[in-house]
Amino acid sequence: MPAGLRRSRSDLGYRRVVLRRPGGVTLLAVRFLLLVLFGPQLAPYDPTLTDILNRLAAPGWDHLLGTDAMGRDMLSRLLYGARLTTVAALAVVLVTAAFGTLVGLAAGYGGGWFDSLAMRFVEGVSVLPALAVSLVIAGIFGLGLKAVLIALAAVHWTEYARVVRNLTVVERNKPYVLAAQAIGAPGWRIVARHLLPNVGGPLLVLGAYSLSWVILAFAGLSFLGLGVEPGTPEWGRMIAEARSHMRSYPRLVLAPGLSIMAFVILINLLGDILGDRWRVDQVFSPNRNQRNP
Amino acid sequence: MPGSLATSLLHRLLSSAGLLVAVSVVGFALLRLMPGDFAEVLLSAQMDGELPSAEALAAYAADQGFDDPLPLQYLRWLGNALTGDLGVSLITGDAVTQEVLLRLGNSFILAFAALTLSLVIALPLALATVRFRNGLFDRLSAAVAVLGMSIPNFWYALLLALVFSLTLGWLPSSGYGTWQHAVLPTLVIGTSVCGVTTRYIRSLLLDEAGRPYMRTAAAKGLTPLSALLRHALPNAAPAIVTLAGLQLARIFDGVIIVETLFGWPGIGRLLVESLLSRDFPLMQATFLVIAVGYVAINLLVDLTVAGLDPRVREAV
Repeated sequence: MPAGLRRSRSDLGYRRVVLRRPGGVTLLAVRFLLLVLFGPQLAPYDPTLTDILNRLAAPGWDHLLGTDAMGRDMLSRLLYGARLTTVAALAVVLVTAAFGTLVGLAAGYGGGWFDSLAMRFVEGVSVLPALAVSLVIAGIFGLGLKAVLIALAAVHWTEYARVVRNLTVVERNKPYVLAAQAIGAPGWRIVARHLLPNVGGPLLVLGAYSLSWVILAFAGLSFLGLGVEPGTPEWGRMIAEARSHMRSYPRLVLAPGLSIMAFVILINLLGDILGDRWRVDQVFSPNRNQRNP
Repeated sequence: MPGSLATSLLHRLLSSAGLLVAVSVVGFALLRLMPGDFAEVLLSAQMDGELPSAEALAAYAADQGFDDPLPLQYLRWLGNALTGDLGVSLITGDAVTQEVLLRLGNSFILAFAALTLSLVIALPLALATVRFRNGLFDRLSAAVAVLGMSIPNFWYALLLALVFSLTLGWLPSSGYGTWQHAVLPTLVIGTSVCGVTTRYIRSLLLDEAGRPYMRTAAAKGLTPLSALLRHALPNAAPAIVTLAGLQLARIFDGVIIVETLFGWPGIGRLLVESLLSRDFPLMQATFLVIAVGYVAINLLVDLTVAGLDPRVREAV
């Protein structure tokens, strides 16, 4: 891919539009986080409690967002879904970030055969169709929640490895690293104490963008019936189960979809703010973290 | 340097070929790494789900070559795949090659239609945002791009189906056969990527708009729009082609869910079907074909750009 296409999202021109009020977005993010953390405590009902007499009830005082086809409280299901999605996506992102960063640091600082081998591999994985690969991996491991998480992690760590490696190669020859080498610091110490903090900012930005990708992919896979069991309060699954009632009760499809979208927009904006804060430029390739399942 | 283009293209071809070999190894290994005995899975599928006896299993494994060393099994499988035999479906018992290729064609129709739609929308929009930079329209298109990146495609597809087929009744919500069936899936994929496409084309055009030749064009009296059309656009063209190719690859991967949703008999839906019915040979074949198609698109993009851009042609 020509260098001209590896550009950050900030030069797409969002900056002017969305970065005027970073405080507002951050505040919103904090509120959302609180909602995720305390969602289950706030939920008025058990999200799996069926109440057939009250099925498909309209929004009202008893059920603020109404009930679904099994009489389960929509608000409670959405709140539990927020936590499930966040925990699953964060788990994937943390594991992939840790592994990818490790590979990237080793390749970038160590150089040599490991560098070329690792980057060959990363290049290879990143020109494969991510969704198809994760579907197949999930299929092999049995279509359960664990399988889906493994599948998403397997296609996702390479972006971290590539970004961290490229940053490390640049940092490696800077005076502070040379100074550390001159006083005889061991390699692992230079990597952990000097290089890692200096690639931390861009890493955080990439983490935000990849979190939004993982959330969308996770919801997409659960919509297809992979990952969570039927009836689980999960946003993608809720949309799939509300499909047959979509015509008469569009709110059952609208509510979880809007939740996903709001969540992902918020995280994308947070990523833009972080990118602005750390002046991340020309680091990310667009074709990986914007794939929308 | 004469011949250097050929060298670099050859290098590119070889690395793609290497990648495909790696993909085929992975595709083969995935099924062998699967929990459970592969021979037993295959045989019990042939016996309608009954568990085969140990003797029958041993005879079957010996007959089908499952006792051979794995590299040998891989080479045999690869040889079959290269000669057009991608295996036999566990469910129907039919050879899968023809089905897979038919589905691949359907997916390409959809992906190309969606790409065309997104470019037809994105190109004029990008020109307009560059011409009227920082205007209301520019900001609006940035917001739409964020929206397009954040909306779950499967949900967006449901919304369009709800409006255009369930409520208005204009289009069929699912199926295949007439051109109307292709409209909704094309619309979903095409419009969901066109926001981002607009922004990338915009930033490519902006790079060109800052160059000295654009000042020259303005000095000799060209209007801003015709300077964009006659100078910036041709210079940005190779990058736009690359972008379009990358989008095509991305769409090709992304159609999986949309195809499933609209009942479009494409390769993505076949992958999902084979997955859910645990038809592993079919899944393996489908995955192999998708991966090959994806790598081929990426390769074609690079070759096209090399052919299009005199700078690349000279430089490489």
